[in-house]
Amino acid sequence: MEVLGAALGAGLSALAAGIGIGNLAKGAMDGTARQPEASNDIRTSMLISAALIEGAALAGIVLSFLLVIVA
Amino acid sequence: MKQYFRIIILILTTIALSHQSLSASEEQQGVESNSSPVDLLSKVVDSNYLDFQPLGYIELPRFFYAEDGFHFFRSTTSALNSDRGFIDVAYLENEPETEGGVVVPATYELTRAEGEPQILFDFSITKHLVWFWFGVFIVFIIFIPLARKYQRGVGRTTEPNGVFQNIFETLVLFIRDNVARPNIPEDKYEKFMPYLLTAFFSILFMNLFGLLPWGVSSTADVTVTAALAVLTFFATQIFASKDHWKHIFWFPDVPVFIKIMMIPVEIVGQFTKPFALCIRLFANMTSGKILIFSLISAIFIIDIHFGAIAAYGSSIFWIGLTLFVYILKAFIAFIQAYVFVILSALFIGLATEEHDHHHGDEHAVEHAHS
Repeated sequence: MEVLGAALGAGLSALAAGIGIGNLAKGAMDGTARQPEASNDIRTSMLISAALIEGAALAGIVLSFLLVIVA
Repeated sequence: MKQYFRIIILILTTIALSHQSLSASEEQQGVESNSSPVDLLSKVVDSNYLDFQPLGYIELPRFFYAEDGFHFFRSTTSALNSDRGFIDVAYLENEPETEGGVVVPATYELTRAEGEPQILFDFSITKHLVWFWFGVFIVFIIFIPLARKYQRGVGRTTEPNGVFQNIFETLVLFIRDNVARPNIPEDKYEKFMPYLLTAFFSILFMNLFGLLPWGVSSTADVTVTAALAVLTFFATQIFASKDHWKHIFWFPDVPVFIKIMMIPVEIVGQFTKPFALCIRLFANMTSGKILIFSLISAIFIIDIHFGAIAAYGSSIFWIGLTLFVYILKAFIAFIQAYVFVILSALFIGLATEEHDHHHGDEHAVEHAHS
């Protein structure tokens, strides 16, 4: 049961991170296409926000990993 | 003088690594692998030995502060065989395992019997610490000659020469122009360049060591990343401007009620920033490690459930996937080092920035747009 919960948690974290980073990449691509000269700034802020989103997702994944180990 | 310093460090490292007792203790595996064919956890957590699995283990020195003073041992085995009463935790209930009359460690967690002076602190050198030193050592031996080269004028008055100088000048300039300058106020960023560069390169090397055979990325340990985050925390707090403290304790341009409410929020905010920094790096490096080991161990799990032929057949697929994750991890090693320094620079920049709130709203708007 704990394993199932952990698997669901990891899957949901991955799903949420995928949606989040997908949206982010979409925005960044749109921005770069519209204004290619700003691509450097866009890339920098995209990486920062990607790292922040990923941090939230990884917190979920670490938690579900702990659930498997401890349980 | 610096030359001697470097030689001393080199000798100390060699001594620490050469006192090896290559005793491949077989029951190390037998203790934990009751359900899973692959012992994932021993690869992820910190340990008191360096793991060179098919060849054996190198035990690291143990250093304790007990109630009866300091104890220093060359290895865990010599601590167990000394007459100072150190026992492996597993041996409190079971019969100690011996190899040729020498007691060998099972869990590497040492304790003392009831009534004896107990261990208060365990300062032992661990696997992650050794790789941490190794990363810092590499940064040392690359950058001190490089700095001396610039002191002589190579690269300043002439063009940079040599592969190393060209590679690292690119990276150093990248940190200066893309990390420090946009985030930290123009007149202050030079003061923080040494910290940002040191953090970037040592994190980068520590991350990349995880890709070496038998290598361990010590940033996959929460204590290492926490130490790095604490450094950033002190850098932000010590060099903070007057406006930073004003923002924390008396937030400008809002009603008094909200000013009071903002105090705890701002104080907590100061701690959550480095905390997030610490957790992000740790989680990224650990998850990469776990992913690689999981993909490799999938071969062994298939071997158990579907037989050897299925395992051999599918191994190409798993190894291909591992290779992909490997490349991704090399990329992540750079990205995470970059993210760590850029967020550090951002926090330092936020703290050292000097706002002008006394000149009314127009100025604030202008400031926001500049």
